[in-house]
Amino acid sequence: MHSLKEFFRRLLYLGRRENLDSMLDQEVEFHIESRAEELQQQGLSRAQAMIQARREFGPQARMREESRGAWEIRWLEELLSDLRYAFRALRKSPGFALAAILSLALGIGANTTIFSLTMEFLFSVPSAGQPERLISIRLAGNSHSQMKIYRFVRDAHIFAGLAGSFEEHSVNWRNGEETAQLPVYWVTDNYFEVLGIPVAIGRPIQAGERNVAVVSFNFWQTRLSADPGAIGRTMILDGEPHTIVGILPRDHRTLLGFGFAPSLYVPVRNENAYVAFVARLPEGMTRQAAFGPLKRVAQDLDRVFPERDFRYQDDLQIDAVAGMERLKSLNMIPFTAFFAVLMVVVGLVLMIACANVASLLLARASSRRQELGIRLAIGAGRGRLVRQLLSESLLLAVLGTLSGLLLNFWLTSLISRIQLPLPLPFQLHIAPDWRLIAYSAALAFASALFCGLFPALKATRADLNSALKREDFQDNQRRWNMRNALVVAQLATSTLLLAAGLLFLQNLSRSTSMNPGFDVDHTLVATARLVPANYPTPEKTQAFVTSALDSLRAIPGVQAASIAHVVPLNGQQTNGIGIKIDGVRAVHVQYKNNNVGPDYFRVMGIPILAGREFSPSDRASAPHVAILNENFARQLFGNASPIGHRLDFPYGESLTIVGVARNSKYFTLGEVNAVALYVPFAQAPAGENLSFLIRAAEFPPGLVKDVTKTLGELDQTAAVDTKPMRDALVLALLPSRAGAAIFGSMGVLGLLLASVGLYGVLAYTISRRIREIGLRMALGAEPRAVLRMVFRDSFLLVASGLAIGLGIAIVVTRPLSMFLVPGLSPTDPVTYFSVIALLATVAIAATVGPALRALRVDPMVALRYE
Amino acid sequence: MPPLNSPELLPGTLYLLVLRTLARGPLHGYAIARRIKEHSAETLQIEDGSLYPALNRMLVKGWLAAEWGISENNRKARFYRLTALGKKQLDTEAKEFDKLIQAIQLVMKTV
Repeated sequence: MHSLKEFFRRLLYLGRRENLDSMLDQEVEFHIESRAEELQQQGLSRAQAMIQARREFGPQARMREESRGAWEIRWLEELLSDLRYAFRALRKSPGFALAAILSLALGIGANTTIFSLTMEFLFSVPSAGQPERLISIRLAGNSHSQMKIYRFVRDAHIFAGLAGSFEEHSVNWRNGEETAQLPVYWVTDNYFEVLGIPVAIGRPIQAGERNVAVVSFNFWQTRLSADPGAIGRTMILDGEPHTIVGILPRDHRTLLGFGFAPSLYVPVRNENAYVAFVARLPEGMTRQAAFGPLKRVAQDLDRVFPERDFRYQDDLQIDAVAGMERLKSLNMIPFTAFFAVLMVVVGLVLMIACANVASLLLARASSRRQELGIRLAIGAGRGRLVRQLLSESLLLAVLGTLSGLLLNFWLTSLISRIQLPLPLPFQLHIAPDWRLIAYSAALAFASALFCGLFPALKATRADLNSALKREDFQDNQRRWNMRNALVVAQLATSTLLLAAGLLFLQNLSRSTSMNPGFDVDHTLVATARLVPANYPTPEKTQAFVTSALDSLRAIPGVQAASIAHVVPLNGQQTNGIGIKIDGVRAVHVQYKNNNVGPDYFRVMGIPILAGREFSPSDRASAPHVAILNENFARQLFGNASPIGHRLDFPYGESLTIVGVARNSKYFTLGEVNAVALYVPFAQAPAGENLSFLIRAAEFPPGLVKDVTKTLGELDQTAAVDTKPMRDALVLALLPSRAGAAIFGSMGVLGLLLASVGLYGVLAYTISRRIREIGLRMALGAEPRAVLRMVFRDSFLLVASGLAIGLGIAIVVTRPLSMFLVPGLSPTDPVTYFSVIALLATVAIAATVGPALRALRVDPMVALRYE
Repeated sequence: MPPLNSPELLPGTLYLLVLRTLARGPLHGYAIARRIKEHSAETLQIEDGSLYPALNRMLVKGWLAAEWGISENNRKARFYRLTALGKKQLDTEAKEFDKLIQAIQLVMKTV
């Protein structure tokens, strides 16, 4: 085969082989006739001329064979005929085919789904024109820089375009009587132009525009009721009218990626905003080559806008906007590792599935030994037979992969539609693409080889004599043959998966019922975002907070109300700093900080162990005070009372300790011995996002609405959202939920596949031992003895699998402890006993069927088998 | 590539002969066989049948193209003609053949 064209000419021939064969016949006939005519003219009789012409032509059969041979694609035709043969063979044993295809479909379905998810989450490419020419830029290592810096770099014109964006921001949308908080992507006016972002309806934001917005497809569908006249509509955002100019396509992927999907793109209006830089490389400029000019601009920046703490020209970073490089620059490697672990887990599931199929194929090969023996005896090459058997596993793998892909489409569309209860807008758009196709094809081939190669080699190594004489059972008398080893490996793997799954399930139940150290059942959380322009000074914000707290306390049923900068388990502020205690002892401390209002500890149900809690008198002008948690108090003062001591901060602030609060959870349920410091809300800077905490003995249905209404009436432009504290803990429980869902389902899937394998092996072993069992029963063996024999076989397999699996699990689950709540050890005995009990139950269930079959063996039939 | 059937021919020469024969215009299989025989003054012994596998191989390689037409004795016959690729092949093969013959002659003369 010399060239592709030649290959295609041959392929074409494959399609019209019969046509070409008849053409060859016509040609030969014409040739012989013409020669015969010529010979007749020379005086020969018709009959003699024909004979002569045929002789001169030579052997026609060989000529035909060789002419056809010229066109044939040997391997392809053999493969096709092998596949036809395999298809017929599979149709003859539909039970086997179904079991094998189902096993592979589950394994490959799980595998490709996690693959699709990983690709979309980590390696999705932003919706932009030529995204490979886009780069993200950091000056001085800062992810965001001020607008004046942005404009300076943009006007240096070293790129084909420079745009800026601020991703994690909110805006208040005044919609009729309600104000809602919307996630928004603030962008510079040239953002759409530089990135080349496609817009489905309308047009993008254009240079020089301010009061316009481009909305996401989802927002248009759900909040604007897919109104075809949405373009041109006005939205009041943070008190300013904005005109909708465009609607993004359904599958729009933001530059930030990771499924981050804000509702709106709006031009940056705040001169003090910080933006992340994205640039388009000019044609022909590499990322490396961009460093030089960028460095020169950064040096100019250092002259024009000198900074005290850093130089713009230091730590310049230029990164691609997709792929591994981006993940590294964003410090997403732990995330990547998490997905890698997932891939390993689904890889294990697929291996269990493949072992099932291999074991089924081995069984089939044994029962086909006679057929194969005959074919070997009449001269079939071993390689040819192996290829034929492999094509059978290839067919299985392809059918399994196709069904697995159906499973993938269903699961991924489910994942894409999922609305995670996250504080961040999140939407994945998983669609089949070439990566999925390539991966599935690779999986199909790999599993065909993995399932089929060993059984095929084994089947064709037959000793002709015994194969022909049907002495096929002898080989299986050995207890530790390949099939048994496969089942043990399967059981071991599913033990491992189950152990991990149960560990996470337990983790989930523990973390759900876990006491985070504060009251989650009698507390409401009301978040309010203020429009920054309406609150230019901290005093105005504090005044709003004071009147809001008064109004909240006045609501019937409310026992107490307070405010906090951070709602526990919903965010964090960690400070690391060098302080002096009472002006003498210098220590470096790292702690979780929270600014909380009066009554915070009462609302949250956190006991004050010593001293007092904050009161309304701890206002901005009063002496600054602080409350420590137990851990912090013990760290700084040992067993002595910290009350009255002073903490001096390097920027001149001095806090007097007035109380000690009981330890609680601050950011994650998994954290241990967290150190925390509380300061009065009134004595700390307040931002635009406020979180009110309300305590009530019970939540009558109207209370949540009353709280929202009360805060909304104080400031109509504020976006208020109220929910019970328990619902606000979703984020904290997400890792345990996701872990439990993924590992739990994989464990169950693995167990399911392994039990099918166990059942298959036992059933097969018994069918091979029918004669022996019949003989035993004819000689007077009791049914109980037969049962004991079957169960002993099963027990040996299960016990070996369990022992190996548990051994591996104890080692492998150790690193999982970082995901577990404190007090739950990876070697938790409850988990391991449950695994053993579960596997034993499944093993008994898988053994009962074959055991009953063994009992029903009719001695006469079995003996006649000879 | 399977060996040609005619031991009298150097390997590969049948292609050259067919290409050369078709250089002057399209011919059907029988005519090609007759031409080769006539022009070699009947010295080249080719079994007529062995021509067809060669023609098919050359079709696969794309050196020839074939279409049906009416022969001089008013029958349906398959006519072969050189393609552009075939012409190029004829040039290179002819040159190589000349070189080979010269080399052989040189050896025969000197040794």
